[in-house]
Amino acid sequence: MNNTAASPMSAATSSSGRSTGKSISFTAELQSMMFSLGDARRPLHETAVLVEDVVHTQLINLLQQAAEVSQLRGARVISAEDLLFLMRKDKKKLRRLLKYMFFRDYKSKIVKGIDEDDLLEDKLSGSNNVNKRQKIAQDFLNSIDQTGELLAMFEDDEIDEVKQERMERAERQTRVMDSAQYAEFCESRHLSFSKKGSKFRDWLDCGSMEIKPNVVAMEILAYLAYETVAQLVDLALLVRQDMVTKAGDPFSHAISATFIQYHNSAESTAACGVEAHSDAIQPSHIREAVRRYGHKIGPLSPFTSAYRRNGMAFLAC
Amino acid sequence: MDRNDSLSPFDQYLASPQGAMSPGIPVFSPMMHYGTGLTLQPIQSTDDLSTLEEEQQQAVVATGQLSPKSQQATQEASDPTPQLFNSQPLTTAPLLGTTPLYPSPMTPMTPAIPASEMAELVPQLHNIVCTVNLGCKLDLKSIALLARNAEYKPKRFAAVIMRIREPRTTALLFSSGKMVCTGGKSEEQSRLAARKYARIVQKLGFPIKFLDFKIQNMVGSCDVKFPIRLEALVLSHQQFASYEPELFPGLVYRMIKPRILLIFVSGKVVLTGAKVRREMSEAFNNIYSILKGFRKTS
Repeated sequence: MNNTAASPMSAATSSSGRSTGKSISFTAELQSMMFSLGDARRPLHETAVLVEDVVHTQLINLLQQAAEVSQLRGARVISAEDLLFLMRKDKKKLRRLLKYMFFRDYKSKIVKGIDEDDLLEDKLSGSNNVNKRQKIAQDFLNSIDQTGELLAMFEDDEIDEVKQERMERAERQTRVMDSAQYAEFCESRHLSFSKKGSKFRDWLDCGSMEIKPNVVAMEILAYLAYETVAQLVDLALLVRQDMVTKAGDPFSHAISATFIQYHNSAESTAACGVEAHSDAIQPSHIREAVRRYGHKIGPLSPFTSAYRRNGMAFLAC
Repeated sequence: MDRNDSLSPFDQYLASPQGAMSPGIPVFSPMMHYGTGLTLQPIQSTDDLSTLEEEQQQAVVATGQLSPKSQQATQEASDPTPQLFNSQPLTTAPLLGTTPLYPSPMTPMTPAIPASEMAELVPQLHNIVCTVNLGCKLDLKSIALLARNAEYKPKRFAAVIMRIREPRTTALLFSSGKMVCTGGKSEEQSRLAARKYARIVQKLGFPIKFLDFKIQNMVGSCDVKFPIRLEALVLSHQQFASYEPELFPGLVYRMIKPRILLIFVSGKVVLTGAKVRREMSEAFNNIYSILKGFRKTS
């Protein structure tokens, strides 16, 4: 059970039969996205390909699970509620998703106030569009909430540490850039999966599914894809930082054997490879990050089946 | 640090920095009276230094309050170098005299902004939304039939949409007699447009009054003319700022409700939510002093 989660590569090969749409590739966009999330100025192509594989596999699996949930409900489309249901276990990530949805509502409200044409269109189409996503989320969480924890999230004002760390990293990165680099950085930050709606749908092969996601569900999926990439970059940066042996680090002798194996292979490729890429994230970092994420450490981990039931630890939820 | 020591005799004249926004900001507080803020500049010629020393002595002699004498000294110093000092009467005049002598090594040497440029920071209005009560019930169907440029789809929305070309605006007319007018580029234009719509409805035979004309929202923009590092701004002003570049390229800065500012990397700032022009100018001036600290230096 451990091996299904550990190597995205094996999962990728198993799903390669499905990925006839490999002509659709987000590799170039992913490279820019990784740069905007903290990677080097020119992320490695191999790393981007690997990240694409991981994200693709995880999203396809997520979609399948959402379709199952949706069938249980007896609905004809996958909607936001199904995805929220799948995320109910991890409060922090769910809260981040909710904040994202509210910000989307807020932004459309503001933009409407600025452009008079938008204002009129909105009035004409009926004014029930205001805070639509917030209403959906609130109604749904109301209905599944047994203990009141989920609803408490709406009032929760805690700082999201992961987001805070990402903001700080971006600030550090941009502090040393000059105007041209900064302009490039800003452009890459604007990239997202939601802007390439139809390409994203085809990439996930939505056309061949029985139950298809609706508009809000696609928005959430695009967000989850972006979150997965962001998580991967976060974890990979952490792994890379670990690899640098620091003098006086008391745990340097306790690094696991598999880790050293990855490290050595990375070193050998780097030695014969291009030295200039030494500050970009390597595929080995990503693999190690996924392995560590899926590996449940703890006294009872061999016996817990919560994550193993579907064989995949989702990075985004 | 060396710099701090030399500044101590003049501390009494310095406004206490109300939370320096970010490293690299010069000594004075960004929340100062805006006229003084812009004219901070490290002096570059020795002539100025000599007048400043003279001024410092005068400042030391003064009892630690803003004395008219030192103000005059500043005025004198300001004559030969008008582009460096603001000619308006200043509330913190000694401050101007003392700060430039000790430019922080961390501060980028920003070019002097003459007082005339400050006036250029006049916000440009893009859209004004106003309401007026015409004072009588309106028969929307007949208005839609008789008036040109009128649209009425009762199933979708319960108001007549009317447009005029000069000034280019759009109005929503409700059966209660209230009207919303959008698209005006200034307060006078907006009022004129509202009167024109009222005249049209009057000509159709309704006993129109023009009651409670009120501007509900003004949208304006201006350009601070330097690039801004939004990542740093969102980090230090977290309670007010949200920035999600994948969703929207601008940073959303919430000032006193309901005013919202959209700040873009290029330096353009859009403000919405103000009801009078003065609120708009105030907001822009406040944000200008904040944004200077996050200028992208290349």
